[in-house]
Amino acid sequence: MKFKQASWASDACLEPLVFELSRANRTGYTLPQKKLPEVNIPENLARTKLELPELSEPEIVRHYTRLSQMNYGVDSGFYPLGSCTMKYNPKICEELAALETASCIHPYQDEDTVQGALELMYKLERCLTEIAGVARVCLHPSAGAHGEFLGMLLTRAYHKSRGKESKEVIVPDSAHGTNFASAAMAGFDVIVVPSNSRGRVDIEALRKAVSKKTAALMLTNPNTLGLFEDEILEIAEAVHKVGGLLYYDGANLNGILGKTRPGDMGFDIVHFNLHKTFSTPHGGGGPGSGPIGVSRKLEKFLPVPVIEYNKKRRRYYLDYNRPQSVGKIKAFYGNFGVLVKAYAYILLMGANGLQEITEAAVLNANYITRKLQGVEGYELKFDASGPCKHEVVFSVEPMKKNYGVKAHFIAKRLLDFGVHAPTYYFPPIVPEALMIEPTETETKEELDRFIAAMKEIAEEAKSHPDKLLAAPTATAIGRLDEAKASREPILSWRMYRKLPSKI
Amino acid sequence: MKVGEHEILEGLYYTRSHEWIKFEGNLARVGVTDYAQKQLGDVVYVELPEIGKSVKQTTEPKTKEMELGAVESIKAVSAVYSPLSGTVKETNQVLQDRPELINTSPYSEGWICVLEPSNIEGERGSLLSPDAYATFLKTLG
Amino acid sequence: MGHPYIPNTREIREQMLDEIGVASIDELFADIPEKIRLRRELKLPRQMSELEVKRHVQAMQAKNKPFTKMLSFLGGGVWPHHIPPHVQSLVQRSEFLTSYTPYQAEVSQGMLQALFEYQSVVCELTGMDVANASMYDWATAIGEAVLMCARVTGRKKVLVPELISPERFAVLQNYASGPGLELVKLGFDWSTGQLDMSQLRAELGQDVACVYIENPSYLGFLETHVEEIADAAHHAGALFTVGVNPISLGMLKAPGDYGADIVVGEGQPLGSPVSFGGPTLGIFACRDDQKLVRQIPGRLIGMTATLDGKTRGFTMVLQTREQHIRRERATSNICSNEALCAVAAAIYTVSLGSRGLRELAEICAANASYAMKELDAIDGLEAPIFASPHFNEFTLRCTQPKLTIEKLNTKLLKREIQGGKPISREFPEFGETAVLCTTELHTKESIDQLVDAAAEAVGARR
Repeated sequence: MKFKQASWASDACLEPLVFELSRANRTGYTLPQKKLPEVNIPENLARTKLELPELSEPEIVRHYTRLSQMNYGVDSGFYPLGSCTMKYNPKICEELAALETASCIHPYQDEDTVQGALELMYKLERCLTEIAGVARVCLHPSAGAHGEFLGMLLTRAYHKSRGKESKEVIVPDSAHGTNFASAAMAGFDVIVVPSNSRGRVDIEALRKAVSKKTAALMLTNPNTLGLFEDEILEIAEAVHKVGGLLYYDGANLNGILGKTRPGDMGFDIVHFNLHKTFSTPHGGGGPGSGPIGVSRKLEKFLPVPVIEYNKKRRRYYLDYNRPQSVGKIKAFYGNFGVLVKAYAYILLMGANGLQEITEAAVLNANYITRKLQGVEGYELKFDASGPCKHEVVFSVEPMKKNYGVKAHFIAKRLLDFGVHAPTYYFPPIVPEALMIEPTETETKEELDRFIAAMKEIAEEAKSHPDKLLAAPTATAIGRLDEAKASREPILSWRMYRKLPSKI
Repeated sequence: MKVGEHEILEGLYYTRSHEWIKFEGNLARVGVTDYAQKQLGDVVYVELPEIGKSVKQTTEPKTKEMELGAVESIKAVSAVYSPLSGTVKETNQVLQDRPELINTSPYSEGWICVLEPSNIEGERGSLLSPDAYATFLKTLG
Repeated sequence: MGHPYIPNTREIREQMLDEIGVASIDELFADIPEKIRLRRELKLPRQMSELEVKRHVQAMQAKNKPFTKMLSFLGGGVWPHHIPPHVQSLVQRSEFLTSYTPYQAEVSQGMLQALFEYQSVVCELTGMDVANASMYDWATAIGEAVLMCARVTGRKKVLVPELISPERFAVLQNYASGPGLELVKLGFDWSTGQLDMSQLRAELGQDVACVYIENPSYLGFLETHVEEIADAAHHAGALFTVGVNPISLGMLKAPGDYGADIVVGEGQPLGSPVSFGGPTLGIFACRDDQKLVRQIPGRLIGMTATLDGKTRGFTMVLQTREQHIRRERATSNICSNEALCAVAAAIYTVSLGSRGLRELAEICAANASYAMKELDAIDGLEAPIFASPHFNEFTLRCTQPKLTIEKLNTKLLKREIQGGKPISREFPEFGETAVLCTTELHTKESIDQLVDAAAEAVGARR
């Protein structure tokens, strides 16, 4: 198979900017005729100048169609981006989220006119509650990190209610960057605990790190090395013993669906990434959805409103009367459009289907692991004897040492094979890391192609590393000057227009 | 002197966190080493310390009071750790517009700041000589 | 039988296990301690076929009454507008929809350029030079803005109007709580709603990081002393942040032209459906000042060239601000944002163009103006309660002693009209009041319908 990404290019650029395509008096929109008298705006507030591009509808459609062709998605091909769970997004879910009855309802409408929306959210909550083994779920957060922030607010509220001044949040050195940032944003001090030689939390170090000051431990399980924290019960005990809470980062939930549940492991707070595990598309960065699940003792702190069901009146309603609530973290009730897709996905899969997802995803990851293990250049830094879960992290340190080929060269070269790059240089505890998450979406044939590509690249590293350094060449554009981009940032058309010399 | 492809200058002192120190009278000029800039890659921004900031000599565990700003590449941030206790007297303003000097001239035009040390006699002993730094670099492989 | 989304059949899976020398799937989960293994099936609704799911969700959502099937006057943070079909059809292009954050610039030029265009459009609208690639919503954008102001100024006090949206304020409280910022509410003039300038000046000390206003305000009127507010804030060394409904910027001066340092707002009306309040789109823009730019939260897309300098391209920039690199010292924890809504906003806005956006804003405002005039003429109703210019939202007070605003709404609903959002709980001092919104979806005739129904509800003749 050969890959060549579309590339719409003119002289010194790809497709021009929409501003450059603008011609006076074109328009891509028609408005109803004005029938009412104009409103007078005070002079100091009246707009005198607005310079938006002016294009007709076909020009706009071509422009953005061309841009889309210079973009790579899961629908284009294999996307083994570790920790991101880039699985196929069923089309039926899109269709349902776009229903007029779901997309044209206002959050402030009379509750009697949005019973279907409230019911869907209520039922999705129940599904997630069961999947994670928690007492209650809140659908408000817009993304995983937003859920983490809420989780930290709940943590603070919980300790405060018990008269405890717990200021420290413990995070393993292999954790996602958001964990550190979310804890800090909520005003906690971050304490880092190291991993042991098995790639798991060093339980002895953890026992030393916990104290009365410990508010919570944030952990993802399977962890970012794709390994299951098999001492999780001991970890939970160590944290609970000092009165701390256990926070579950749900980014890697695809590795354990139906096999075990965060609640059963002892976690008090859990976030879900619906845009990962539950297959809502990532949209080039978002919108996502990062619901939070909590154990019984934290329920009363959840944000308002909470969706409740009045059995007698057979009516769903929004409950704002929650005196101990942490308040709000988003103006309305969550990214409803995303919630519809996740709910549909869970129904499409059912309990067995969800478990099968995990089995297939874990098998795919282990298949890659074993097939690449022993290939010169790729190294497993931690415990390689047992199975991995949904992802695997290889180190290409040997390649760097022997041939000067770093992890990102391999990642970029993979693009030429029509494979999206894995996550690289993460987790930071693995030198020259390549983090590969195949998901259940990929066929054996696709995995074999990927494995063959990885082997070919390892050979290239030896025979002609120059080829690697020149990669990628099959993409819409070659390697970019990222240093220049950050040294003299050009962040908008306005900034670009003011420059003395153009790019 | 060179260790691998990394330049080490005579007449300077060094630290294990890859800063260099040049004593100039009762002042000390500080920058990051050739090894450090190569590890970082293209430097895109230098966060200079505030003039007048008082810093402590760096020991473990590191704290903010030991930091002399930071050097940023595209995908990494590296704090500059103070080799000595003292006060920041001067910073290299040219780096604001030309952060790449850290890459092109780490030991000269790419200096970061000048310190007035408060305890040279007590602290000088913990700095590395060029030879000791070379030996240290060899252990890093 | 295979599974539509899990292509490797059981036979193939067996074969794969065989090839890697694993006896059974279960062996791959042997590292999970038995004590926490789930040895039962998850209790979930039964698995359904695609057709069944479609019917099920359709039937459930049919219990909603969309505003397209009645007459609705709700706004207050998300606003219904007509979205030209090409906007959604373009953002639904698979290559955009199913891509991740564009970390790999070489295969992601399309998304990167589209986001750069979004940033550029936001800058044109707000009069700023720099915009990020999106925040979650207006409320969280305010939260991030005050945190940024605190970092930039090293100060901890934030001044906000008392008439800020209570929901946005609730979110702001949580964002401000981490570093312990002090939020102070500024009063207003009872006849006009305008910010109390003397209180502003009194509170503006050397400890103030940020002065925040909303324009148009939550209650729909325009804040007219904007230059004075900006001057006062800057004189005290504080940053001036303005929250906007971007549609209003078709006819209202860009905040950057009256002194704003940061502009935030809700981008949903630019091409995203209301969708029960989410996904939304947090707008975040600021002046091109290195002190500010280095402290911006979230992703930024920048223009650059290929390494050979020959071709223009786009890439994520200043990533060292972000959580994946700077961890607990990052400017924000945000990672996933609202990128696709941002692309929709770019497409929607360029579809209108300068003249289209101006006309749209004028129609929205003219409809509100007409509705206010007609409602105010009814005995027992007052609209608006503030003598100030308004954009497309306004307050309606029910002064008829026996009628609450909620009861009025119930009566309207019987006539298939969804009235405004009651604010009698949020702002009891204004009595039985609601906030109403009009957009281009309303016509003179539909406003007349509201007026007739309202007149009947209060028992007045029209």
